[in-house]
Amino acid sequence: MTRMFSRAVLVAAMVVAGGSAVLADPPAMMMPPYMLRPAAPAGDRLKPGGDGKTLFEVHCGYCHLLGGMGTNLLTKQRMMMGETPDKGLLANRTDLTADYVKSVVRAGKGAMPAQTKVDVTDAELEAVSKYLGKAG
Amino acid sequence: MKLHLPPRVSPKAFDAMLTASAAVVGKDWVMATDADRDAYSDVYAPGSSEEWPAGAAIAPASVEEVRAIVRLANEHKTPLWPVARGKNLGYGAAAPRMAGSIVLDLGRMNKILELDSTLSYCVVEPGVGFFDLYDAIQRAKAPLWLSVPGNAWGSVLGNALDHGIGYTSYGLHARNLCGIEAVLPDGDLVRTGMGAMEGNPSWHLFPFSYGPTFDLAFTQSNLGVVTKAGVWLQPAPETSLEIVWDIPNEEDIAWVIDTIAPLKISGLIDQNVFVPSWLGKMVLKGQRKDFWDKPGAIPEWRVQELLKQYKLGYWQVALRLYGDESVVKARAEVVKAAMKRHLDAAPAEHWWRQGDPIGQYETTMGVPSAVPLQMSDWIGGRGAHMGFSPVVPATGAHVMDQLKRSRKIIADHDVDFYASFTIGGRFANNINMLMYDRDQPEMVANMRRLFDALISETAKAGYGEYRTHLGWMDPVAETFGFNNQALRRMTEKVKNALDPNGVIAPGKQGIWPAAYAAERARNAGGKA
Repeated sequence: MTRMFSRAVLVAAMVVAGGSAVLADPPAMMMPPYMLRPAAPAGDRLKPGGDGKTLFEVHCGYCHLLGGMGTNLLTKQRMMMGETPDKGLLANRTDLTADYVKSVVRAGKGAMPAQTKVDVTDAELEAVSKYLGKAG
Repeated sequence: MKLHLPPRVSPKAFDAMLTASAAVVGKDWVMATDADRDAYSDVYAPGSSEEWPAGAAIAPASVEEVRAIVRLANEHKTPLWPVARGKNLGYGAAAPRMAGSIVLDLGRMNKILELDSTLSYCVVEPGVGFFDLYDAIQRAKAPLWLSVPGNAWGSVLGNALDHGIGYTSYGLHARNLCGIEAVLPDGDLVRTGMGAMEGNPSWHLFPFSYGPTFDLAFTQSNLGVVTKAGVWLQPAPETSLEIVWDIPNEEDIAWVIDTIAPLKISGLIDQNVFVPSWLGKMVLKGQRKDFWDKPGAIPEWRVQELLKQYKLGYWQVALRLYGDESVVKARAEVVKAAMKRHLDAAPAEHWWRQGDPIGQYETTMGVPSAVPLQMSDWIGGRGAHMGFSPVVPATGAHVMDQLKRSRKIIADHDVDFYASFTIGGRFANNINMLMYDRDQPEMVANMRRLFDALISETAKAGYGEYRTHLGWMDPVAETFGFNNQALRRMTEKVKNALDPNGVIAPGKQGIWPAAYAAERARNAGGKA
């Protein structure tokens, strides 16, 4: 590919000033590669004890891996709060609690729709919330 | 969300349906708490999501379970609203047209049954999302490309069945369907086309049945529940070239259409060519308040300032060619020469060759992304959008006529203008994105009035929509009025013959079974 620069978004190129966050023009922005998700674990989705990281990437990876919609919006929010861009990735957050993760997943928040139990089962959410809930 | 029951269904009868269904799918896959109903509501609802409330949701895992649930729905007279993955954002998401309908969530039926690189097709169940199929193709290193819609979070079949469009050579997604399996409203099971013969290997290859061909009768339809289908895929090309022109002025769209459409019709351009207006680029740069912090539409002088500051044209044509390098080069010369007759500035050109990486936002190369949904953040708050989506003949005169009319109506309602035209051949899909904050009641009310005005004024001019939100399925159906709604009358005759209890998706696209005829036009249009 002769072009690793895109018209789209990349967090590191964001200009944050005076309470507004405007993304810089290309070619300062680089398009991340597609984030291949792991294969969904086989077996009963209702059974507890799944691997939180894998389940997070499978069920939340549409938006919350590098370059995803959720990552892009959260990066902007975290930077406006004075944090580093890497905190836009939920996997890098240290301030999330398991209960908070469960609440946002089931109730939705801002641009994120509530997730049904077919999107992510309670057992899967338990594992995901333990993985993301590094603050307890 | 509290429980809304379907018409004439008692709480006891509703519970009996759920209990019987739990015996089929398992109790964990019958979802009927207030939180479950919220999760199946329209997350972008223009107003209260309780206008289109689900009573519950049931998630079968197999064709046999779907058949059992459909039979139970007939027994208990409880209507079902089938969804593939329920991500039809902007058109109602998973929410049903008729209050109290039970969402039949097919998300657990997510098997990729076949992936054939030789004849370039796959066979999938409805729960297979664009990301799932893309991942499977990458893992198999299969030389196949997808065609994806702007929001690719949803289902491959769900999008095709709702007449979704993408931006590759396979962008008319319903046209890619070949050979459907569907559960009929009485629980019977049919296979269309060559699939009507046991074990016929051409089922997903030859697009017709022996006799009438019903495949498309199951799209935007409540005549059955599609449980699997063949989908034709694009063979991965040797090379691809993207050619990008910024088109400076609004009225330039006329010559753009008159230049590109003939090349598309002749086959020189394979792709569905997407031509978005400038706001499509701006919504990914930040929030509206970063660029204009007053209510009401962004004034024209500010639009011109923004175009200058961010070096945007009023429109952008990012056209993509696919194939062997010598062929792509030759085609590119024809396209560039045609465009040069109107625009001196040289386009940007981006070559891709087999083996090069493909970026995450390359929609025109079939890479799925949910990033276009970031536009919900443009307005802020609980941001949402609806699309007003008429179809017009692909000539500059028709496109300008449509553009001027909708532009004036949108301006009269003091709303920002964000249009795109996708040239699909002899026609163009004109999508007007209307963005709003769900928590600002006056903004939402204004959008609803605007939506009504757009439908009625556009229909007066002779154009109709290709797809719409739940709340406008009846008003749009009304606009298709030839011979006293002859097409709707015919479809409803078929509907009543196949579905005497009206249990499959009553009201879908304005088709109401006799059992629920009294519900027509309820919770519909701007005044609901």
